[in-house]
Amino acid sequence: MKLFTRYNRINLFATVIIFLLSGLAFYFLLKYVLIDQVDEDLKIEQHEIQTYAGKYHQLPEIIPVRDQRTGYMPVGKDGGERQFTSIWLKDTIEKQPELFRQLIFYITVNNQCYRVTVRKSLEGTDDMIRSIVTITLATILLILVVSFFINRLVLKKLWQPFYDSLAAMQQFELGKNKRPQFAATNIEEFSIMNETLSQATAKAHEDYRYLKEFTENASHELQTPLAIIRSKLDVLIQDENLSESQSRVVQGAYEAIQKLSRLNQGLLLLAKIENGQYTETATINVSEKINVKLEQFGELTASKGLRVTTAMDEKAVIEANPELFDILVNNLLSNAIKYTPESGNINIIVEEGLLEISNSAASAALDESRLFRRFAKSGSAKEGIGLGLAIIRQAAEVSGFETRYVFEEEQHHFLLITDKN
Amino acid sequence: MKVLIIEDEKELSNSICTYLDSESFVCEAAYDFSTAMEKISLYDYTCIILDITMPGGSGLDILKELKANNKSDGVLIISARNSLDDKVKGLKAGADDYLTKPFHLPELGARVDAIIRRKVFGGKNLVKIGNLALNIQEKTAMANDKLLDLTRMEYDLLLYFTGNKNRVISKGAMAEHILGDNMDTAGNYDFLYTHIKNLRKKLLQAGCPDYIKSVYGLGYKFTV
Repeated sequence: MKLFTRYNRINLFATVIIFLLSGLAFYFLLKYVLIDQVDEDLKIEQHEIQTYAGKYHQLPEIIPVRDQRTGYMPVGKDGGERQFTSIWLKDTIEKQPELFRQLIFYITVNNQCYRVTVRKSLEGTDDMIRSIVTITLATILLILVVSFFINRLVLKKLWQPFYDSLAAMQQFELGKNKRPQFAATNIEEFSIMNETLSQATAKAHEDYRYLKEFTENASHELQTPLAIIRSKLDVLIQDENLSESQSRVVQGAYEAIQKLSRLNQGLLLLAKIENGQYTETATINVSEKINVKLEQFGELTASKGLRVTTAMDEKAVIEANPELFDILVNNLLSNAIKYTPESGNINIIVEEGLLEISNSAASAALDESRLFRRFAKSGSAKEGIGLGLAIIRQAAEVSGFETRYVFEEEQHHFLLITDKN
Repeated sequence: MKVLIIEDEKELSNSICTYLDSESFVCEAAYDFSTAMEKISLYDYTCIILDITMPGGSGLDILKELKANNKSDGVLIISARNSLDDKVKGLKAGADDYLTKPFHLPELGARVDAIIRRKVFGGKNLVKIGNLALNIQEKTAMANDKLLDLTRMEYDLLLYFTGNKNRVISKGAMAEHILGDNMDTAGNYDFLYTHIKNLRKKLLQAGCPDYIKSVYGLGYKFTV
């Protein structure tokens, strides 16, 4: 939900509640005041009747008035205090029930006790209340409409710097050289926010660069000792006095060093790709490349008894760095061969803008979110160094390609989308 | 035959020297640029193993110096840089071969052997070893003057063995020789066993002695 929408919603809700409450309170207060006014009139009427009766010892003659009805009724005894009530009565002309305010009091004239009823129509009061309510509702509506437009226009304008900064941050990508640019604003909060974001991204950038450099330097520094250890082991195994148990120890060390060397080479390769050392591009025929690679891998596919089928558009070409594309295809194929169970299938599809390599799965679907990360190995792949897919993703990203993984019909599908259109 | 190892890392240089050392080889080492320049101007070497990055100067300058003086020393560059550009640059400057660090010593042995074969034997295409004769040009092998029916892989392995005769070659080095960077893909050495077994069988059938010996679990040794 957008901030505006949220704010508008709260604002509207609060305004409506306040207006309804105040409208209600206003209604009752008005009603009270107006009825009080009518009661006053009725009291005056009573007073007039009593004065008349006191002076002339008879009740005044009833003059028919539209809004007022008076009636006398002889009663046996005095009913006590005067009392005000509201009552619905049928209108004599319109035959519609109409609200009246009535006053009942008792008066004794010439020893005869009368109950006097004076009634006043409340129709005028009702009309007044109705118009007040109408005005109130109209005001609410007007305020709502106006505040809606004010919010829309003013708030949008006020929040513009925020959205600009947001857009700049969305463009920001760690590892790319472009820093987010924030437009200057004279609103303090936004200006502080921009400054903070600027500092945070610069810091992140710096940390990232430092980390990258560290990885690269560490890998470089590891090269020489690794080469020395390996060469020493190559020399050591020449020793004819080596016993069988010693040989096994050497073998263990030898294999660990081998793995370490490959790991290190993988990290160096990643660093090189990240540093943009593969920039020059050329037009490459994909199916030709695949065929060359398949021949190179022929030894391995044969020894594992894998069945490789291809459906390739021989005209499909891509624009990429040849070395990088070689690495990409190599790693994709190598991965497929490595993880296909014995006598499984590998299918290769080449179309304009797409390279898909799928292989029979020995396991269930892999977790795509972790798959392309460094060292995110699944339990079954003990022999890998855990960098193959990370290298694939990195190489693809640098080339402007997209990598995707799909698990379908018991097969792992790795897709390289070389043309996003 | 003399081999000069120009490598600033003494331990690596020592290992190479120990590995290559045999009746037919004499190794010399140069640990820095000036010593290397001095040695190449004073002596002739059959093969020079040259590290590109070293203190005091670039290995490429040494290479240029050699070429400028019309020296016919064979040059094998060993470098930590593995990009195609670096390789092309090295080979264009007149190196005979380019090997990326870290490497297996048997791989270095085979490469040095190939360079020496080209330099010393004037590009003679026939390598004779024991009862075997390998034709480098045609990629064929004869045993007791009979043509062996070898697969490409078996021939490769045989050539690799002859370049490292009387030395133990680890399985890892062999796998890397065959598969290059893709040896990771294999996961195990099963494919290697099959090829070695077949090669051994074919050699025995052709009346050769059992040249290829398995050394515990470590690897193989080609003895003549």
